[in-house]
Amino acid sequence: MRLVALDGLAEKSGFQLGQGVAEARAMCPEVDVLPADRAADRALLEGLADWCSRYTPLVALDGESGLYLDITGCAHLLGGEKSLLDDLLARLFHLGIEARAAISSSAGLSWAVARFGTQGVIAAEEAAGVLAPLPMAALRLPAETIETLGRVGLKQVGDIIEAPRAPLARRFGSMLLLRLDQAMGLEDEPLSPRLPVASLSAERRLSEPVQGEDDILVLTQELAARLKPELEKRGQGGRLFELLLFRVDGRVFRIAAGTSSPLIEPGRIAGLFRERLQAVHDDLDAGFGFEILRLSVPRSEKYEVMQEDFSGTPDRERPLAAFADRVMARLGAESLFVPVLSESHMPERAAVFQPLADVEMLKTLGEAVCAVPAALLATSARPQRLFQSPEPVEAVAEVPEGPPRSFRWRRSLHRIARAEGPERIAAEWWVDGETAAERDYFRVEDERGRRFWLFREGHYGGPTQPRWFMHGVFA
Amino acid sequence: MADNAVQRETVLSLRETIARIENRRLAGVVKTVKAADPAGFRLRQEGTPASGRKVLPLGIPDLDDLLEGGLPLEGMTEIRNAQTRDAGAAAGFATALGALCQRARQQKGDDGAPVLWISQSLASTEAGLPYGLGLSAYGLDIRSLILSLPRTVKDALWIAETALSVSAFCAVILEIRGNPASLALSESRRLHVRARAGRIPLLLLRQSGHEEASSAFFRLHIEPAPARERPLPDGSMLCGSIGHPVFHVIAEKSRSPAPVGLFLEWNPHDRRFYPVEPLPAAAAADPEPAHSVARLSASSGRPGGAEPLGHLLAFPRAS
Repeated sequence: MRLVALDGLAEKSGFQLGQGVAEARAMCPEVDVLPADRAADRALLEGLADWCSRYTPLVALDGESGLYLDITGCAHLLGGEKSLLDDLLARLFHLGIEARAAISSSAGLSWAVARFGTQGVIAAEEAAGVLAPLPMAALRLPAETIETLGRVGLKQVGDIIEAPRAPLARRFGSMLLLRLDQAMGLEDEPLSPRLPVASLSAERRLSEPVQGEDDILVLTQELAARLKPELEKRGQGGRLFELLLFRVDGRVFRIAAGTSSPLIEPGRIAGLFRERLQAVHDDLDAGFGFEILRLSVPRSEKYEVMQEDFSGTPDRERPLAAFADRVMARLGAESLFVPVLSESHMPERAAVFQPLADVEMLKTLGEAVCAVPAALLATSARPQRLFQSPEPVEAVAEVPEGPPRSFRWRRSLHRIARAEGPERIAAEWWVDGETAAERDYFRVEDERGRRFWLFREGHYGGPTQPRWFMHGVFA
Repeated sequence: MADNAVQRETVLSLRETIARIENRRLAGVVKTVKAADPAGFRLRQEGTPASGRKVLPLGIPDLDDLLEGGLPLEGMTEIRNAQTRDAGAAAGFATALGALCQRARQQKGDDGAPVLWISQSLASTEAGLPYGLGLSAYGLDIRSLILSLPRTVKDALWIAETALSVSAFCAVILEIRGNPASLALSESRRLHVRARAGRIPLLLLRQSGHEEASSAFFRLHIEPAPARERPLPDGSMLCGSIGHPVFHVIAEKSRSPAPVGLFLEWNPHDRRFYPVEPLPAAAAADPEPAHSVARLSASSGRPGGAEPLGHLLAFPRAS
């Protein structure tokens, strides 16, 4: 067991990273050792990244203990870079998090200064001067490169800034110069943001935090109303909306709501979130309230603007979409289904239900149904209800191929008055394998007039004993 | 003279009260009442529906009388069956009504208003999922069918309410198993009011439930009945074949009770019901197998009934 992280007091007491726990205890018996939990560290860092999206949507994770914030074009919203940095550090301090930060024109320089220098805002022209006195580790180099550099006396970044580049590259690899150029801002360094940036978002900062669900919904509707002109201008409607709720203690909740057709009406967007809030009710702990609300549109699609008529009767597609959205926002995407027919002999595969993802699906499905042979659609030999998995029954039947005379299903005996069949359906060898037994289906009616769909799997004299199953119920 | 006026006023107010209890549209009734003969009740004129409700005539005089003109197009109708194994018949009857609603909409030129079938997952697991090919052959246009399989009764009721508040559907079928406590009188009243306000027919399909007071206009008990044989082109019947489905419809809640019930055959090609005579054999058939299990309806909010006496067997002595 080794030490992987130290707090400020431990650093002062002379502990070192990588030291064995036994050795540390020998140095100081009352040392408090906590087991490392990398998943929890990661969760904290991601939580902080969410929290940092109050400053900019472009937040990238840096290893296990850092965050990059791309504040290009955001700083003026908080009164300049200096006040942004002060605000960030003050807020993190109040959250009980020790943080160091720096703002500069390149990610490498900010990284170096935040970890090894004096934090603050660094202008682009100061880069070389600030970087020179920092140790080599500030260049984000692998440990062995730093060690090799140290052995030849190159301990500070200043030692290599002015040095000839070709011998350095030959001896220490191209990584060294790449990192140096990145820190100096000569080489571009792309940051990959943690989450995709929404094309549109609207935000509301509150001086008084809100807790109630109704307040959140009213604010959501207001935000949606602010998004509407921009969406209209682009001719787009949102297919996915995301509401970010920043709680005063730093926790951020993301609530996403999908729609089944492009949507711009603020009332319906707020309605979606009403259902979503109902669904996530227990997970959404308002605590002392939310201080920032942001509504963003991560996914949008072309929106057909329709003229409202004077008749007062709403058109058909939109109420259906409204209904589907409300149900799916509350009960999940897999709560509405539409029948889909496919070309298969096996009854359970010939007609299945697919989740309704899009109201447009109804139209395309209609065309698909038209393509199915009419004889198959009109046959009376298919039951109105089908069991997902056929239920075994004990049947008495004529040997070898006759219809059943009586059968016992769910512990009750049915005497069969009439039977139609058999209809032989062979197994699909390309799905079920070549050894699957064929089925002989019988449509039977018992003495009380109940109509069932039974089948015999296999046949007498075959490799396995035939078995009888109940597969469906007729009207 | 004054006496007469007071009496008339009393009668009028009583009739209004009755009308309100009976859920009729008040304005029309008040008009009728005002026009009524003060000396007594007036016979209803032939051919006029009893109430101002919108109805869908089913084309069978007996059934239409039972339903006071036809299937109510605004409000709730309950369809129930007693046992799970009869669920096919009740579902078939409800599907037939759904297909009729669909056709009525199509005839009005309103093409494509879907039927919503909400089946609580317990019900669809016990009695089978609706099957697209079978329903299509049965006369339902599955191009406009949406199925929902909510997990709990509460979710099912919520979906039904949501569906009734948008004018997107031509019929809503709500399938519930048994008599759950979460669908009691007040909930059914709520659904009924929603269905009336939304002008959508709601068919409450109660699978293997017992009779329970509800706010539905009508409650129909559906039992399966033996089908006729398939007709041959020369007019004779194909011996031993199973033709179109036949239902035994018993009105349990209706203002014109018919305890014997009606036998109806559904013709999927014509998409309409035809009255049929019951087969004598069906009535005489032994309804009970020799060693059947007790017929119990599905669980409900009430405790079970008392155990019948005399079923206890003598236990062998332990020592």
